[in-house]
Amino acid sequence: MSPLYAEKFRIPKHLEIADGAVVPSPVGEQPMMKTGNWRIERPVIDHEKCTTCLNCFIFCPDGCWHLDPKSEKMVWDAIYCKGCRICVEECPADALRLENELNFKGGVARLDKPY
Amino acid sequence: MPKEAYMAGCAATANGAKLARVEVITSYPIRPYTGIMMELSRMVAAGELDAEFVHGEGEHGQVSVTQGASAAGARAYTGSSGVGVAYGMEVYSPISGGRYPCQMAIADRAYDPPGDFGSEHTDVMSVNNQGWILGWAETPEESMDNCIIYYKIGEDPKVMLPQWQVQDGYFVSHIPNKVSIPDQAQVDEYLPPYNCPHALNPQNPTNHGPQIFPDQGPAIDLQRAQAFLNTPKVVEQAIADYNKAIGRNYSAWLEEYKTDGAEFVFFLMGAHCRTARFAVDHLRKKGAKVGMVKLRFVRPWPTAQVCEVLSKFKAVGVIESQTCYGGAMKGGELQHEVRASLYDSPKQPAVCSFMAGLGGEVISLEEFYNMAKILEKNAKQGKVDQYVYWVGFDNGI
Repeated sequence: MSPLYAEKFRIPKHLEIADGAVVPSPVGEQPMMKTGNWRIERPVIDHEKCTTCLNCFIFCPDGCWHLDPKSEKMVWDAIYCKGCRICVEECPADALRLENELNFKGGVARLDKPY
Repeated sequence: MPKEAYMAGCAATANGAKLARVEVITSYPIRPYTGIMMELSRMVAAGELDAEFVHGEGEHGQVSVTQGASAAGARAYTGSSGVGVAYGMEVYSPISGGRYPCQMAIADRAYDPPGDFGSEHTDVMSVNNQGWILGWAETPEESMDNCIIYYKIGEDPKVMLPQWQVQDGYFVSHIPNKVSIPDQAQVDEYLPPYNCPHALNPQNPTNHGPQIFPDQGPAIDLQRAQAFLNTPKVVEQAIADYNKAIGRNYSAWLEEYKTDGAEFVFFLMGAHCRTARFAVDHLRKKGAKVGMVKLRFVRPWPTAQVCEVLSKFKAVGVIESQTCYGGAMKGGELQHEVRASLYDSPKQPAVCSFMAGLGGEVISLEEFYNMAKILEKNAKQGKVDQYVYWVGFDNGI
């Protein structure tokens, strides 16, 4: 290697990151990344009909459904859900329906902050 | 014992992948590279190779599956040609940025329009700055060997980069040639199983390709730049080890053919080197002081070696086989790299380009002789009359 190239670069402490930017997965939500704030409709679950088949968990592209081990019920994540309807389409028990955001207190109706 | 066989580039490359014990193969058909996947699927079906064989729904999906397989810790393998290489483009940077050392075999092919399927270097050369190791093979045997050597280079912990292992479509991929297939045991010793430092693991979940803030971007770009600065030493070691283990005679960066006493040389890569060798032999017999320099790697580009070797001559003819419309020299891309490499040299040869081998056209011996005439004149007068010659359409050729 030619000495005209740096042998080693100085990277400031706060910008150090693992090779390939592979990092431990965050557990839970990140306050800086609220990506569901432009949703128009949200899925609402009927726990009477839900069979916890986990189809919603499997098909959700954003990981917005999970099974709460204590209550054994499906739990929805309001921060990341973009209202794409995939879970509603894929639910075999017809336990999910869409409802307009404006019907909910604190429902997202406009973009507040990007993140 | 190594086995002698007579096979075309596609079959030889598939044998290279088999010897490298690839674990996940993803395919999508496009000629001429399809032959590699046909042979590999036969091997998997016949139980000769233990690998997952996945069909992509297109090249974008195909290369994405390869990325996922590599992230899961597998030695992943894919390939494409021409417009297929272009369709996979979006995934190339995430793969090198995420440092997944998977391999993509390419039998090169012209871009459209108008739907040409012949060999041309334009497909890979138009995506060559995405952080992948890249080089051309001249023969089926070299293509097979490169497959194994590239995994060795890419999977080195100091490198961790994906590789494009390229052969000329048809000229190499479809013309049978003698191939000496090394022993599996020899290759196993040379290339141990891939040890992925960050394989996906449900017990220890990780984010691959996370969303970052703008100030974190340059630091990650720098990682790839650093990896490329680390690569040359690893390349030299990997090729020296392969030569020793398998009994080959590859030079790491540039192969010089009959350059002793040469005043002017052809500078090129890939299949057309074969014809160039015959042309040089013939011209030497007639007293011309001509030689050939073959390029083995485009990325990393061997700047110092190109400068040192080409400075010895009075004139250099870069044979492009790929287009770069409106670039600095208005010809192909190789002349840019060659001129940049020579910029700091106290001895400057006269450098011109020949646009030849485009759209699948053979570069004939006659055309090499005509190019030699121009180079001889350039060597004598110490300068070029024209930067770029379109072979078959231009002054004197």
